[in-house]
Amino acid sequence: MFKHFFLFEIKNALKQPMIYIFLGLLALLTFGATASDNIQIGGSVGNVLRNAPHVITVYTTVMTIFGLLMAAAFYNNAALRDFSNEFNEILFSTPLKKSSYFFGRFCGALLLSTIPLLGVFLGAALGSIAAPLFGWIDADRFGSFYLETFTNNYFLFILPNMFIAGSVIFALANIWKSTVISFVGALAIIMGYIISGNLISDIDNETLGALSDTFGIRAYSIYSKYYTPIEKNTLSPGFSGLLLWNRLIWISFGGIILLASYLNFSFQEKNKRIKKQEKSTEKSTEKFILPVLEIDFGRSSVWLQFKSFFLMNFLSIVKNVTFRILFLFSAILLITGLIGGFEYYGLQSYPLTYKLIDDIDGNASLFVIIILVFFSGELIWRDRNSKIHEVIDATPHTSLISLAAKTLSLISLTVLLQLFFIFCGVVYQLVNGYFRIELEVYFLDFFYANFLAYAIWSGVMITIQVLVNNKYIGYFVSISVIFIWSIVLEIFDVSSFMLTIAAGPSTLYSDMNAFGPGLYGAMMFNLYWILFSILCLLIAGALWNRGLRSSLKDRLNIAKKQVPRNYKPLIFGTAFVWLVVTGFVFYNTQILNPYKTSDEYEQMAADYEKQYKKYQNVPLPKIVDAKYSIDLFPYERNVDVKAVFKIVNETQVQIDSIHFNIDKDWSPAFDLPNAEIVFEDKEMGYLILGFDEPMLPGDTIEMIVTSQYISKGFKNGRGSTSIINNGTFLNNFEILPSLGYDEGQELSEKNTRKKYDLKPKIRMPKLEANCGANCMRNYLSQGASDYINFETTISTASDQIAIAPGSLTKYWEEKGRNYYQYKVDHPSQHFMSFISAKYEVAKRKWQGIDIEIYYDAKHHVNIEMMLDAVERSLAYYTENFGPYMHKQCRIIEFPRYATFAQAFPGTMPYSEAFGFVVNLEDETENNVIDAVISHEMAHQWWAHQIVGANMQGATMFSESFAEYSALMTMKSISKTPMKMREFLKYDHNRYLRGRGGEIEAEQPLYKVENQSYIHYGKGAVILYALQDYIGEEKVNRAMQGFLEEYKYQPPPYPTSLDFMKYLEKEVPDSLQYLITDWFKEITLYDNRMTSAVYAPLENGKFEVTLEIESYKMRADSLGNETKIAIHDWIDIGVFTDEEEEQLLYQKRVLIDQEHMNFTFEVDSLPMRAAIDPRMLLIDRIYDDNIKDIKMSEL
Amino acid sequence: MHKLIIKDLSKTYANGVKALDGVSIEIENGLFGLLGPNGAGKSSLMRTLATLQEADSGSAKLNDIDIFKQPHELRQVLGYLPQEFGVYPRISAEQLLNHLAILKGITKTSERKEVVKYLLNKVNLYDQRKKSVKGFSGGMKQRVGIAQTLLGNPKLIIVDEPTAGLDPGERNRFYNLLADVGKEVIVILSTHIVDDVRELCTKMAIMNEGRIVYHGSPDDAMNALQGKVYQKIVSRETLDTYAEQYQIISNKMVGGKPLIHVYSDTDPQNDFEQVKPNLEDVFFSKINTSHQLV
Repeated sequence: MFKHFFLFEIKNALKQPMIYIFLGLLALLTFGATASDNIQIGGSVGNVLRNAPHVITVYTTVMTIFGLLMAAAFYNNAALRDFSNEFNEILFSTPLKKSSYFFGRFCGALLLSTIPLLGVFLGAALGSIAAPLFGWIDADRFGSFYLETFTNNYFLFILPNMFIAGSVIFALANIWKSTVISFVGALAIIMGYIISGNLISDIDNETLGALSDTFGIRAYSIYSKYYTPIEKNTLSPGFSGLLLWNRLIWISFGGIILLASYLNFSFQEKNKRIKKQEKSTEKSTEKFILPVLEIDFGRSSVWLQFKSFFLMNFLSIVKNVTFRILFLFSAILLITGLIGGFEYYGLQSYPLTYKLIDDIDGNASLFVIIILVFFSGELIWRDRNSKIHEVIDATPHTSLISLAAKTLSLISLTVLLQLFFIFCGVVYQLVNGYFRIELEVYFLDFFYANFLAYAIWSGVMITIQVLVNNKYIGYFVSISVIFIWSIVLEIFDVSSFMLTIAAGPSTLYSDMNAFGPGLYGAMMFNLYWILFSILCLLIAGALWNRGLRSSLKDRLNIAKKQVPRNYKPLIFGTAFVWLVVTGFVFYNTQILNPYKTSDEYEQMAADYEKQYKKYQNVPLPKIVDAKYSIDLFPYERNVDVKAVFKIVNETQVQIDSIHFNIDKDWSPAFDLPNAEIVFEDKEMGYLILGFDEPMLPGDTIEMIVTSQYISKGFKNGRGSTSIINNGTFLNNFEILPSLGYDEGQELSEKNTRKKYDLKPKIRMPKLEANCGANCMRNYLSQGASDYINFETTISTASDQIAIAPGSLTKYWEEKGRNYYQYKVDHPSQHFMSFISAKYEVAKRKWQGIDIEIYYDAKHHVNIEMMLDAVERSLAYYTENFGPYMHKQCRIIEFPRYATFAQAFPGTMPYSEAFGFVVNLEDETENNVIDAVISHEMAHQWWAHQIVGANMQGATMFSESFAEYSALMTMKSISKTPMKMREFLKYDHNRYLRGRGGEIEAEQPLYKVENQSYIHYGKGAVILYALQDYIGEEKVNRAMQGFLEEYKYQPPPYPTSLDFMKYLEKEVPDSLQYLITDWFKEITLYDNRMTSAVYAPLENGKFEVTLEIESYKMRADSLGNETKIAIHDWIDIGVFTDEEEEQLLYQKRVLIDQEHMNFTFEVDSLPMRAAIDPRMLLIDRIYDDNIKDIKMSEL
Repeated sequence: MHKLIIKDLSKTYANGVKALDGVSIEIENGLFGLLGPNGAGKSSLMRTLATLQEADSGSAKLNDIDIFKQPHELRQVLGYLPQEFGVYPRISAEQLLNHLAILKGITKTSERKEVVKYLLNKVNLYDQRKKSVKGFSGGMKQRVGIAQTLLGNPKLIIVDEPTAGLDPGERNRFYNLLADVGKEVIVILSTHIVDDVRELCTKMAIMNEGRIVYHGSPDDAMNALQGKVYQKIVSRETLDTYAEQYQIISNKMVGGKPLIHVYSDTDPQNDFEQVKPNLEDVFFSKINTSHQLV
C-alpha cells in the first residue's frame, strides 16, 4: 500500500512537465555560474577552481532556497490532489491504511523535491565540460569531481532541507487545504532563515547563527569560514562539527512536525465551521420607489468609476489573508533586522533616521516584489476568478480606467506597507530614546527611492499580466523580468539604466549631504520609466481582454476597431513625451557624460598596459615643491585647480620628455617653458610633453598644471561623490595628472589577465636586501616625489570651511567666498586632501598641538571621545616612537558614500558612517573610535615619517605598525587583561577569513604584498603577541630605533629587512624562533584542551590538572599545511568565571611534545581552563582551547 | 420603440466549432425567448450582442448603435446577465450594486442609493443587503445578478439562462419583474426550458447548431403543427423499429414506458393518437430534424 502511493506520486510527477522544468532551470543557473565569466557567485576566483567542492556546495546550499518553492509545489500536490479533484470522499471511504497513504504521499513528494536540485550537479558537470571545450574558460580552472561532494551534499543539505521544509508544508497543506497557505508556509521557512541571519551578524553569535539556520547554509559558511584555497578545492562538506549538529537539530524538528501532522491527520472530515445564519428579525418597512435616473457618462462619471474601481480592488486586497500574512512577515523581518544587525566589533549605531531607512529599504524590497508580482496577477484575474467579468466587461467603462485603478491599488498597497514601516521605524527610535526623528527624510526617501519605482513596477506588471493573458505565465514572466533580465544585461555587458526597469542612480541619504549628487539623475530616470510605465498601461488598456479570452492577435484587431477616438492621441501623445524624455536622458547619460561598461574598462586596462607599459621606466623628474590653488564650488559641483610644481631631474641622464597619466574628465593643461605636447591619447589618458631642450641632471624648472572639473547634466550613475554640495573630499592624485606610466591601472587578477593574453602580474617586487632601483621609490608616491614642502590656497562657498593639510596661515573673504591658506610645517609625503563642508569645530590643545575635530552639527555625541582618542595617541606615540612633526591633528568628517578613514599629513578625514554615530555608551564594549583614530594617528609616524620601499613587506611598517600602535593605546586604558581578547578576536577572524579569499598567494608577514588581511589582521595579532612575549618596551625600542634611522630620509627607502635587524636585537635567544615562525613563515597552531580537572586540597587551595594537545603547522602560499615539531612557549591559564573575564592563573610553559599534562595549585575555585587564554596565537579553532574544569573523580 | 437588427452573424471558434452560422433576426420591444439545446450557440449570440465577443462577419445594430463599431455606446444602454454569474468575496450586495450602478452612469449618490434599495427589494434581498455576497446561496447570487441587469435604464436587456438555480417562487417574481420592464425595452431571454418561453414571450427563436431554425411567435409555431403530431406508448424493444418507420420528434418515459411523438401530415394509424402540439413539440421538431432518438 505504501509502495503504491509512493510510486503513484512519483510516476504522476514524472509524467508532468513541472519537474523537468525545475530540474532544467536549476541546471541552467548552475551551468551559467560555472561556465560564464560574467557570473561570479560562489567565490571561484583566483586559485579556487570553478567546480571546486566548496563552490558546488555553496551552489547547492543556495539553490535549496529556490528548491524550497519547488518543494512546496510537490508537497502541496501530494497533500491536496485528492481534495482538489474532489476524489477524497470516494478514496477515504475505501479500506486503506492511514500510514501508507500519509507517508506514501509524503515520501513520494520528498524524493521528487530533491530531483530538481540534482540540476546543480548536472549544471556544474556540463559547465565544466562545455566551458573549456568552447574556450569560454581555460581548462586549468576546472578540477576533478569528487563523488563525495555529491553524496555529502545530497545527504547533508538536499535531502534534509527538503524533508524539513516538506514536513512543514505538508502539515500546513493537510490542515488548510490551500495552495496559497502552502506557499506562505514555504515563505515562512525562508523568513526564519533570514531572521536567524539578522540576529547573528556578529562573530560573538556565530554558533547560535550556525545552529538556528534552518537550511544549514550559515552553518556551512561558518564551518568553512577559514578554508584556504586548497581546502576549497579539495574538501567536501563532512558530517561533523556545527554542521552536523545543525542538521540533527533541524531534522528532528522536521520529524516532530511530521509526526504531529500524522497524528492529526484523519480521513474523516473535520467539523467544518458553519456560520449560523443570523435571522434578521426586523422587517423593513421602508418604501421603495424607483427614482427617475439621470444617466451621465461625462467626465465626472469617469472619475467616479475610477474611484469605485479603486476602492473595490484596494479593499479586496487589504482584506486578503495572504496580504495580511505578508504584511506580518515583513514587519517581523524589519523588527528583527532592527534589533539584530551589528556593524563592527559588536557595536551598533544610534538609530539615526538614515540607518532606519536603510533597514526599511532592505527589508521592504523583498516583500514589495512578492506583493507586486502576486497581486498584479490577483487583481488582473480577480473578475474572472470571481466569474463577474462578463458583467463588468459589459458595462460602459473604458478598460484603461479599470486598469489604472488596479495599478493605483497596487501602488497604494506598497504605500500602506511603507507607512507601516515608517511607523515601526519611528517607534523603534522613540523606544531607544532617540528623538531626532526626521519624518521628512523618511517620506522623501520613500518618494525618491521607492515610491516611484513601485509605481513603475506596478504598471509594468499589470501590463505583463494583460499581455500574457495567463496568470501563472504572467507570474513567470514578471519574475523573469525582475531577476533574469538583469543577468541577461550583465551577460551582454549593458549597464545603462535605460534598459533596467525602474533603475536609476542611488539616492543614498547622508546626514551631511542629504540625497546626494544622484538625485537629479534619479528623478530624470524615474520620469523616463514612469512615462514608459504609463505607455505600457495605455497599451494594456487597449488590449485588455474584455469578454471572451482571445489571442493577442485577435485583441489587436479588436483594439483597432473598438478603441475610442480620443485614445489614439493619448497613446501617441504619451509616446511622444516619453521619446522626448528618452532623448534627454540619452543625451545626458550617453553623450554628455559617456561611461564605460565593466568589459570596456577591462579592455581599456589591457590596452593601456599593452601600449604604454614600455614607458614604465622612462626617466622622469621629481616634484620637490608644490603650491596649489584650488577653488571649490560645492553647489555647482565644480572645481578649478592650479598647481605650481618645482621639478628636478635627479637622475643621471638627460630627460627629453615628461609622461603623464591624465584623466580627461579634469581636462588638464600644462604650462612648461620650452615644452609642447608631443603625444596625447585622451581615451586611455596618456600624454607626453616633449622638451625643446632636454633637462640635464640637476636641472630645476617650474611647471604649472591646471585642471578643472565641470559637472554637466546627469550621469548613468550617481556621479562623483567627491565633489558634492556638503562634504567635498578630493586628494591630489584625483585632481591632477600623475607622472609617468601608472601601474595601478593594470588588470591584476590572473584569470582576467589571461583572457587578454597578459602574463600574470607580479604584485610587488621581491623583497631583497641590497636593492637598487626599487628602493629609490616608496610604495606610496612611486617615485614621483619624496618628502616635500607644499602649500595650498583653497576657496569655497561662504557657508563652508575648506581644509587642506598644514597650518592655516591666512584666512580671508572675497567676493562672497571663503579663502584659506595652508602650509605644511615639515616636509611631508606629497599626499594631500582637500575638503569643504559646513562644519562645527571642536578644539583642544595638547602640548602646543591643536587637536581639531571638524564635524557635522548633527553628530556631536562622540566628539569628546574623539578628542580623547587623539590626545591619548599623541601621548603614547610621542613617548614611545618620537615627536609629532605637525602643529595640528585634524579629524574631518566626510559623507558616508565611503566607509574609511585616511591619514594625510596632520589631517585625517573620517567617514560619517562608522564612528560619529556609533553608540559607545557601554564602556565595556569595544570602542571603534579609539581603534580608528589611534590607527590613523599612528600613520602620522608609520607611513608619514617612515615609508617602505616599493617592494614586498612595505605595508608591514605602515599598516601593521599602525594597528599595533592602536592596540597599545587601547591596552593602556583597558582595565582587565582579558579586554584585549575581545578586540583581538576580530583581527584573528580578519586574517583567517582573508587568507581563504586570497586570489594569488599568501605571503608571510615580512613579505606582505599590500594584502589587507595580512598587514592589518595578522600584523596586529603577531605584533601584539610579540610585545606580550618579549615585552612592550622592547618592541617599541626596535620600532623607535628603526624610525630614528630612516625618518624623513631621502631614498633609498627602508625595507622590512631593515626593521628585522632592529627587532632581532631585542628578541632573546630562547624566543628567536618567533621571528621565523611569525614573520618569515606562515605558521598556525592547533592547540586544544583535552581534559581539565581540579581537586580541592586540605589547605583550602585547588589542584588543577590539565591535559593539552598542541601542534604547530607551516602553511604554503595556497594553504597546504605541514606539521612541524613543536618547541614553543605557550600560556596556560584558569578562569574563575564563565564569562572568562577573571584570569585567576596564567603561566607560560614550554610545550615540546604534542600531548602534555600540567598540574598546579590555585587559590580559588577554578571554573574554566584554557591553553593560550588570551588568544595570542593563530589557531583556526580557538573554541577547543577552553574547557570547563570538572572536579576530579578521585 | 427600440429595434435590434441582426444580419448574417457568423462566428467560428479556433477549434473549428461553428458557433454562429448566418444568424439574422429582428427584435423589438418585449420579451424575446431564445430556445435551443446546449451548445446551440445561444450564449455565443448573447455574448456577441453584449459586446463581449467579436463575430467573424455580419452586423448587429440597436437602433442607431452599431454594436461592433460602437461597443461603448451599446454598453451604456445594456443590461446583461451572463450564464455564469459570480461575485467578489468580502463585498456586500449593496456595495456590489453600488459599484455597478456607478459603472452604469448613475452618478448622483442619492439616486444611486434609491435605485439600489429599490432593486434589492424587488429581488427580495433588501434585508440581506449588508451581507457579503460570497456567503449567499446560488439562488441569492442569481438574484443579485438580476438586480444589476436592471440598473440604469437599459434599453437592451440580455439574460442568459436567468432562472437556473431559482426556486419556483423566485422564478415567478423574476418573470413578473421582467414582464414589467419588457414593455418598454427589448429583453432577450435564453433558456432551454420551453415552458418559460410559452409563459412569457410573445416572440421567440429556436437555435440549433449556430442557426436560427425558427423565428416567430410561440402560438404561430404551435399552430403550424396543428394536427400533425401524434403520440403512442411503445415498448422499449420496438423503439428502434419506430424510429426507422416514423419521423420521431421526441421520446420520453412515461410510467416506465417510452412515449413517442411523431410528425406526420397524415394519420399514421397503428394506434397513434393525435395530440395538440405544445411548444416542446415545436422545439424538438425544429432541432431534431434527423428524427433521431434522444
